Parts: sequence; structure tokens; C-alpha cells
Amino acid sequence: MDKKQREFKVLLVDDEDVFREATARQLSVRGFIVLTAASGEAAVELVRNDPPEVVVLDQQMPGMHGSDTFIEIKKLDPLIEVIMLTGNTSVDNAIELMQMGTFDYLMKPINIDELLYKIEDAYTRKKLNEKQQREAGQ
Amino acid sequence: MLKKLAAFSKKFFFLNQEEHDPGLEAEEVDALRLTFKSRYHSFKLLLAANTRILEGMADIERALQGNESFSMSFVQTHCTAISVNVFRMINDMENIAPGKYTALKDSFVAIQKRIDALLGARKKIVDRRLVIPLEALNSDMTDLVGGKMANLGDIKNRLQMNVPPGFAITAAAHELFMQADGLQREIDRLFQVAGSDEDRNLDLVSSQIRQLIMAAEVPEAIYLAVVDAYSAMKAANQDQEIRMAVRSSAFGEDAANSSFAGQYRSELNVGFSQFFYYYKQVMASKYSVQAIAYKLSRGFRDEDIAMCVGCLAMIDAIAGGVIYTRNPLDSKDEAIYINSTWGLPKAVVDGNDLCDLFVVCRDDDLTILRREVQRKGFQVVCLEGEGCIRTETDDDLAVKPSLTDRQIRELADHAIRIEQYYETSQDIEWAIDVEGNVFILQSRPLQQMEAVLPGPELDLKRFEASLIVEGGINASPGVACGKVFKVAKKVDILQFPEGAVLVVDQALPTWAPLVARAAAVVSEQGGFAGHLANVAREFGIPAIFGVKGAMARMHNGDAVTVAADLGRVYLGNIGPLLEWTRPEPKLMLGSPVYESLAEVSRHIIPLHLLDPEARDFQPQNCRTFHDITRFIHEKSVVEMFNFGKDHSFSERSSKQLHYRVPMNWWILNLDDGFTHEIHGKYVKLDEIASIPMLAFWEGFAAIPWDGPPALDGKGMTSIMFRSTMNTALVAGVKSKYADRNYFMISRNYCTLSSRLGYHFSTMEAMVSERSGENYLGFKFKGGAADFERCLGRIHFIREILERYGFRATINGDNLNARIEGHDMAYMIGRLKILGYLTLHTRQLDMIMGNSALVGYYMNKLTRDIDSLLP
Repeated sequence: MDKKQREFKVLLVDDEDVFREATARQLSVRGFIVLTAASGEAAVELVRNDPPEVVVLDQQMPGMHGSDTFIEIKKLDPLIEVIMLTGNTSVDNAIELMQMGTFDYLMKPINIDELLYKIEDAYTRKKLNEKQQREAGQ
Repeated sequence: MLKKLAAFSKKFFFLNQEEHDPGLEAEEVDALRLTFKSRYHSFKLLLAANTRILEGMADIERALQGNESFSMSFVQTHCTAISVNVFRMINDMENIAPGKYTALKDSFVAIQKRIDALLGARKKIVDRRLVIPLEALNSDMTDLVGGKMANLGDIKNRLQMNVPPGFAITAAAHELFMQADGLQREIDRLFQVAGSDEDRNLDLVSSQIRQLIMAAEVPEAIYLAVVDAYSAMKAANQDQEIRMAVRSSAFGEDAANSSFAGQYRSELNVGFSQFFYYYKQVMASKYSVQAIAYKLSRGFRDEDIAMCVGCLAMIDAIAGGVIYTRNPLDSKDEAIYINSTWGLPKAVVDGNDLCDLFVVCRDDDLTILRREVQRKGFQVVCLEGEGCIRTETDDDLAVKPSLTDRQIRELADHAIRIEQYYETSQDIEWAIDVEGNVFILQSRPLQQMEAVLPGPELDLKRFEASLIVEGGINASPGVACGKVFKVAKKVDILQFPEGAVLVVDQALPTWAPLVARAAAVVSEQGGFAGHLANVAREFGIPAIFGVKGAMARMHNGDAVTVAADLGRVYLGNIGPLLEWTRPEPKLMLGSPVYESLAEVSRHIIPLHLLDPEARDFQPQNCRTFHDITRFIHEKSVVEMFNFGKDHSFSERSSKQLHYRVPMNWWILNLDDGFTHEIHGKYVKLDEIASIPMLAFWEGFAAIPWDGPPALDGKGMTSIMFRSTMNTALVAGVKSKYADRNYFMISRNYCTLSSRLGYHFSTMEAMVSERSGENYLGFKFKGGAADFERCLGRIHFIREILERYGFRATINGDNLNARIEGHDMAYMIGRLKILGYLTLHTRQLDMIMGNSALVGYYMNKLTRDIDSLLP
């Protein structure tokens, strides 16, 4: 996929400043338009005002938890694809999130290429779902 | 699957006569295209998830060989990653074939429940007491207060020996402490975020966790219980303040075969005002770098280890040390070994000074067999206020024996009684106070090894020219060679190369994490009773201690042979001595972490659904995650093929390859596998855009086939015999097994089911810029000759594939090969090899009885393949 095709908005939500800034920089270098938020509340606000195509969302955050943030984002736009990041290896947790409809689930520490692939795949899925929804509505 | 694909593709071929199916409106065609595109996207995601699962399973299988250490975090992370990806495959399958395989979710839930039950199983602490006085302890309470304190309870209360007064802070207190404010959860998270077991920066994660623990408040209930216990001790001491020794008594510590020697913190001579600070220090030491490394290499589960803490009144010792009730280096030697020094026993266990050794016979008189009195230049003593200090010993005292004969016999008598009580040899820490009373501070099972000495035929004089160091104490037996690496400062630890010979001035417990990585250890100071010696014996690493001048005489980078039993180091690799090496112990086998992984892997790895044609190849019969992935992979390919037929949609049906002439190769385009939309019956090679298919084809067409190999008489007989049994093998007889080959392609993906000659093969490849998702799978089965010859060819192909980096396994007459994770150029090369082999191994089964011909073809094929690769 070339750089031009990648020009879509990705929102990266994580309360760890170092991780968020470093990951955002790496994604920008690879041609994404990256928005960042340091909390669930800020992320929901951003989605409301400037909706991205894909959200990369940390699960463990002080204040609004990742799962709650996910629910709020889906309420605003059910077609936004969300990739969860977590430092917690619990299987229950992972499956619960997948059942709730997250696009995928990545465990920290992440491999930046793997995250990149997931974001691209999530974007493709979103575009396909949008088209299918449009066709169904016609 | 092959037979089904053949059937589907035939139908597509006949459907594929018009541009669009009659009766389909333009909008319906658009909708079908979109649906197909969406399913194809799910198919790709499913294949990527399948690759990650196979990689995860390969990691687990490697770990189960027991050669490498791994932690519970490895087990958790791999199980979660595999579960998530299996779930992902089920979701993707649902998108590919909505509502058709819903039973998969039930199978998934059932398997997941079994795994959860195994991973979530934890011992429940029933006794909720937070503090228990020593008078109430015994060795049945190991699960409550740890082995060290439980044993001391026995020695005090059942053997009626002197043990300093004190109490234990229990496992229930540990649980309360770690659960307050989500401390344990945060620790687990820090561990996982720190990365895999190999990549983890232990210094960083250890420091983060210890800071968290030190910053935590001691829960009030623990605080009050400790104050009560201390007040009772003080009241019994005429209301005088008591200085304490605060010592770890963790689960697993001091158990047989796992010493945790010196891994945890002990703080001596602590005033009560500082008590809780040091209590937290001991709790935090569960996560010291040494302790984490040790747990990892021995397969202990972090969650299984409750850090109980022993609090004993401090004994201001004039002499102290360690007794081995038998010789740890020779299980046949029954003498009692008493290591002793002036002051506290800390100097002996820390291994930074020399100490006296007295060897006592078990006869009625307790005869002293040997006295090795060393110059004990330093001793550790209690300071007036708090803490301890290592101080120089007066010259006169330094050279005197630290025990009288009466004291030696008294200690030997204690040792025998303790050993008799536990019915196993013991490692006992003791001290003698100013009034001459013997106190027992600790007793644990002693690890013993078999002595292995070279036979008389080994003439050591031959190697004398290479001798560089002699006269040390055998701290851990065995022989090993490696390059010298001297460690003087903590920072040197980071540079220590795997397999080097560790050379140090003092045998400090700080160096313990290096022992497991070292070939051997040589120290100028220390005796065989120190913590580091214990660790070396546990890991089966040869060690020589007390070698004066080793740091000066051994030079970094020099290859040396360390013969611990001889107390010698030789320059270079001394082959005849190395033959005397002991086998490396597989320390992970049987450990709690290993057993956890072995148990969960039984629900992940075994494959029961082997035959897609069998009646039991059903979603409800999936008993493991591997069954689920196998089922989904099989069915997803079939469903993608089925799409055209199910929706009467010829655009997604197969075309016949036209390469000079129409060929027996049919191709279904999944997405962007053609350069443009092809109408009509044929597709030309230059209209193919699939990277993996073109690479395969390049290998296939690069070198013309010489035709069938010249048959030897037996090969021909074998085929004639089988032909009478199987009409499919007779030329001219119409059979469903006629040569047919089916590709399913996109730009980066290709799967091929082929029948060439009399064998089946399938190939599947994903080759794109995403190196991490690239893979190449190849299966091969069958042949015209008898089973032995077919098998011969399969082994022949496996040998070639393994030469070129494939992982290959043979099960019956099925060959299964796989390679993954390489970049495009590499994968393209491997596809060319498969293309070449697909053509050139035709009928090679016939010559498998003739070793000269086998050799000829092996040479020819590898020469040809080398010419194909860049």
C-alpha cells in the first residue's frame, strides 16, 4: 500500500506519554494522519468533533477505562474500527473485547509493523462495511 | 479437499462461458462483487491469524523441549494470543460463510473454559492469620509461613534446640499486601509490557516493581498484628527493645533441589522503628534481578510464590557458619562438613571471604577428621546502633580456629539430630553467642551430587604445560570450557557473553544471574558453602572457589578448560578432560511453569481432525484449537471456491491457463490476481499478476523435465503390481485423478492443488511487503510405486526442503513443510524451489530403491535449484 492510500486518520489513545508520542511519530512516518488523546474522555470528544477511520485504544487508563471508551466511540459511529492495546494478558478480557466487536487485540509491547498491518486491515474492513451498508440502504 | 476443489472447479469451468450470468442485474453483479471482496478480505485476515497461531504453537513446542527457560508470562501471552487469533478466525469464517459453522463457537468456548481453569487454578489460603509466633510454628505450615520459618518452628518446638525468639508474617499477609491498591495487577502489567523473556530489560522492570512495593502502604491489619507480636517479644525481654533479623521465608525457597540461595533480601540488626521499611525491602526482593532471573531459569510461577517474612531476635554472634550434614559434592561421603568464621555467618554464605572447614566423622566420639583453618581476614559484626559491618579481624584472631573442639562436636551433634528428624541431609545455618550458646538460624534440604572422578587411565601430566591455575576448592563439580570473562562491577553483567567462563574476585550472590549463562565459574574468594556455590551446583555449572591470583592469571578472551573436581584451570580446550563433562540438567522439566504450559498445550496443539473427507470432520468435533484452525482453513478455501457456484456468479469462477497451448491448470482469481478483468475461457501467463504464482511458475518452467527416470526392474515391477490394484494408475483409464491443477490467486496470495503424475500436492503462499505475515506451506502425498518407495521420495524431498530453510515433518506418507516470516525476495526464491520440485520430482519414487540414482538426482536437483536462486 503506498503512502497516498494511507492518508487517513488514525486516533491513538494512551495515557502513557512516552508510548503515545513515540508510536504516533512512527505511524506518522509511515504516512498516517495521527491524532492523539491521553484519556478516554479526550478520545470520545475527538471522535465527536473530528471522527477518525480507525482508533487504537489502550485498555488500562485512569478515568474512563478503555472498554467504556470503546462503547462510547461505537455509540457515536458504529463503523469506526477499534484496535485494543493492552498490557494485560488475561484471555477472558481479550475474548470479551473481541465479542464486543473490537477489530483486533494487541498485547504490549507492540511490534510497530504488526500495528501498522492491523490499522490497514481495519481501514479496509471499515471501507467495505461502509459500502455494504450503503448498498443495503439503497 | 483436493477432490472437492477438483469438482468445484470443473463446474466453474463449464459456467465460465459468458461475461455475466444471465438473469443477474447490474446492481446484483455489483453487490456480488462487493460481497466477494468482503469475504476475500476476511479470508486474508483468517490466513494471517492462522499463521500467527501456527507460529505460537511452534513456540510452545520449542519451549516444551525444556532446554530454554520461560516464565508464566510466556505461557499467558502465548495462550491469549492463540485464543484471540482462533476467535478471530471463527469471526472471519462467519463472514465468509454466514450461519454455516456456528458450532465452532461452542467448541471454542468449551476449549477456552478448560484452558482458563488450568491457568486460573491457584492455591487458596485458608488460614487468614497475618502473623504467627515461632512457638506456634511447625513444618506442616509451609504453605502458611514458607519453608524457612516452618522448619525453624520444628527445630525450636519439636527438637527443643535454641532458635532466637520471633514470629512469621504469613502468606495471607503477603496476599493482603499485594492486593491492596491493585499492586499485583500493576506488577503483572509491568512484566508483560517489559516484553518477552529474552528481550526484557530485567534491571528496569525489577527497579520499577521494587519502587512500587516500597512506595506502597503496609495495610493496617498487618501493621497492628506485627506490633502485637513484637510487643509480646518485648514483654518477655523485660520490656527491653529487641533488634531483629528480618528474613525472607518465601514459598519454594529452601525446598529440595531449588535453593533460591541468596536471591532474596535479609536484613540484620534492625530496630523496630525501621521494621516496616525493611519488611517492604524483603517483600520487594522477590523482584530483585537475581530472583527474577532465578525464577525464570527454574520455571517458578510468580503467582505461586508468597513472600512470607521471618522476624527473629538478632544474635550477636562471636562465630557462625554453615553445616552440611553430608558432602554436597559426593553423595557417598557421610562425614559432616562444618564451615565456620568469626562473627555472623553472613561472611560464609555471602562467599566473599575464606572460612574454616572442620570435617567430622559420625562415630560415637564424633572424631574430627580434618581441620582446614584459613586466615579469616574479615568478619561481619553487629553495629552498636543498627545494621552490620564487615570489619578486619585482628591478625592473631584471624589465623586461629573459629571453633573449639567441644563446639565442633556440639554442632555435629545438632546436625545429626536435625538430619535424623528430617530423614534427609541438611544445610544448616548456625551462630554461637557470647555465652557460647548454639543457635540454629535455618535448616533446609542439602543438594547432593554424585562424585565423578577421572579414571586412573587419564594421565593428567600430559596437560601440565597448559595449567594456569591450581589449588582451588571444588565448589561445584564438572568440566567445561569457554572464554574467560572477568566481572568486577555490576555493569560488567550486561556484557557477559553466553557460555563464557565467569572469573570474579569474590563469590557474591550478586553474580548468581550470570551462573546459568556461564560455562564455569572461578572465584578468588569463597568456599563451597556460599550461596553462589549452591547456585552453581543447582545449575550443574562447574565452579572453583578460593583460587588465589585467578584474576591476574586468567585473561579476558582466552579459551580455558575448568576442571572443578581437580581444582584446576587449563589454557585451551583440553579434549580428554571435556569427555568427563556431566550432562546439563534440564531445569525446566517438571517445574510449575513447565507443567502449566504442558497442560494447556494439550488443549491447543494436538490435531484430531486429520481427514477432511472423513465423516467426523465437523465443527462440533474440534477438541483443540488446532482442530478449529485446521477445520476453518480447510473450509474457508472450499467456501471461497464455492462462491461462484453458490451465487451463480461466473465472474468468480476459474479460467484455464494458456501457456503456449491450453494447459491442465485452472485459475480462480480471488481479487487482484489478474492484470485486468478476464472475460472468456482462457487466461494467459502475462495476464497473471499474482506474485507467488508467478514465482512458482518461474521455478516450474525454468528447466525442462528430462522425462521419467530410467527405471530399474524392481521399480517397474512395483508400478505394474500397484496398477493392477489401482486402475487410476493405468494410462488411458479415465479417472477422477487425471492430471489437474487448480490455483486460487490474488496479487499476494496463491494456493495450488495439484496432481502431477501419481502424487498430490498442495501449496499455499502469502507473499507481500508484510514480511511478518509471509508464509509458504507445502504438502505432498502419494506416488505410483509401493509405499516404501513413495516414502523414500518424501524423505528425499524433505531433505532438499530442509537444505533450503523449510521446516518439514513427515506423518505416514504425508510430507508437511512450512516457512514463514521472511521478506519477499526470500519467499519468491522458495516458491521457485517448490515450482521446480513439483515438476522434477515426478516419478522419482520409482528409483528410490537405487542408491546410486538417488545420489545422482539429489546432486542434479540441488545444482538446478542453486542456479534458480539469486
